[in-house]
Amino acid sequence: MNRRDFFRLASMAGIGASTAGLTGLVNAATPAQLGTVPTNTGISGRVVVIGGGMAGATVAKYLRLWGGTGVSVTLIERETAYNSNILSNLVLSGQRSMTSLQFGYSNLATRYGIRLVKGDVSAIDPVGHSVSLADGSKLPYDRLVVAPGIDFDTIAGLETPAAQARVLHAWKAGTQTTQLRNQLLAMKPGGVFAMTIPAKPYRCPPGPYERACVVADWLKKNRAGSKVIVLDANPGITAEPLAFTNAFEVVHKGVIEYHPGVSISSIDASTMTLNSNLGSIKANVINAIPAHKAGKVVIDNGLANVGGRWAGVDVLTYQSTAAPGIHVIGDASATTQPKAGHIANQEAKICADAIVRLLAGRSPDPSPITNSACYSPITADTASWLTAVFAYDPVSRTMQPVPGAAGEAAARSQDNYKEMIKWFNTLMEDSFA
Amino acid sequence: MNQKTMRLRVLLWLPFALASTCVTAQTTSAAPPAGRLLASNCFQCHGNNGKSNIGFERLAGSSSSEIYNELREMRSKVPPKMMDMHARGYSDAQIRLIADYLSKQR
Repeated sequence: MNRRDFFRLASMAGIGASTAGLTGLVNAATPAQLGTVPTNTGISGRVVVIGGGMAGATVAKYLRLWGGTGVSVTLIERETAYNSNILSNLVLSGQRSMTSLQFGYSNLATRYGIRLVKGDVSAIDPVGHSVSLADGSKLPYDRLVVAPGIDFDTIAGLETPAAQARVLHAWKAGTQTTQLRNQLLAMKPGGVFAMTIPAKPYRCPPGPYERACVVADWLKKNRAGSKVIVLDANPGITAEPLAFTNAFEVVHKGVIEYHPGVSISSIDASTMTLNSNLGSIKANVINAIPAHKAGKVVIDNGLANVGGRWAGVDVLTYQSTAAPGIHVIGDASATTQPKAGHIANQEAKICADAIVRLLAGRSPDPSPITNSACYSPITADTASWLTAVFAYDPVSRTMQPVPGAAGEAAARSQDNYKEMIKWFNTLMEDSFA
Repeated sequence: MNQKTMRLRVLLWLPFALASTCVTAQTTSAAPPAGRLLASNCFQCHGNNGKSNIGFERLAGSSSSEIYNELREMRSKVPPKMMDMHARGYSDAQIRLIADYLSKQR
């Protein structure tokens, strides 16, 4: 496929996704409301962004909005649309379709003049300042932003593609999410759905507990007598302990069985058996979320200098502590902040602002603030929420939670559920529209 | 790469990293507007520059004192809703910067 074909495809995918994923919001927002790219900021430079997820899309957009037309931005992405992880648990309960959670890249190209390149990165040259693609082309940069998201370890027993097709993670939304939905549909009353939660850090701290709730709620109504067994590698619930303790012990009592501190030694996909320190557990569906690490491009290019798994960064700029001129944002970076889409959007803005300042010969903002926020469905029409504000601490050079500005909802509610949908629409608008 | 090589590599890069964050080249561009980066924490729910009309309250164009006072009132609300919790994350000076920036958006 040549570049022109890709652009045609990309814009087609974008239009498809706009009507699906951005229903009711693209039509409602005018270009003036969304923001326009200024022409004469006096700043110039070439920025290449690897990865079009929440972090990559947002940084590309804000580099143009804040840097102006003199800052050329190229976004490299291998897919034609982004599949939102946020709300993807609702695909499991049949409340959302996967296509309703897809966001194309055409807005970024047409509204903000971002150059889209569909492809796979083969290598980064941090000294020569260029990115090589699998098709042999080379993109030079003044600043590179790497936002590949996460990758997974392989669980013992799940080495083959056949085993991986039976025991899904569905932790990168997309085909696997729909497949896991189909596995749920194939369950009989009185069945067992077993899921594993990896040790921290992993993407979306409340996400696995939320999944347990959404699946339990669906099973109760559609496959009576079924159970959800949650096998958590962590010593306890890692996020929204109030909401999820109540959900496990009251709302979904008798359906969800929660076990903290579980280590999985292997999974046998042919007999659907998990082997753990609790003994062997058989299930009709196993949803195993493996341990996480930074996306491959970070590991392969010497950027994973924190435990060999995550990219160390200076949180004033998100510049890599392993290579100058390269910034790593979102789930792949090692910071004190959670790995999640909402805060990745804010990390992207800090990074875009810093790059614009650096290109202009200025220093980065010395006291950035980020915020994390998310809503978690507990049932088909109630949700809880979680939030935290982080401020830069110059002593530890890390982002630290502001005392008193972090916490969860006092109780689940239908209002929270309605707010969740609004939040999702506005967050995706800020990142992709 | 083992731990030691990695540490070495980090140390080798350090001077370059420092140099590239401490660039003090002459610039002809205008400084970023005060409060913009802080206010961008509002954009996820209230739209770019507070101009969204698809979700939560539109902030652009409200008076600075209105935004400032509302954020300050939110800090003491019990039990806090999500926005009340957010408001607790900023100092008075930071809230002032955010309010001033958003009030100038049209």
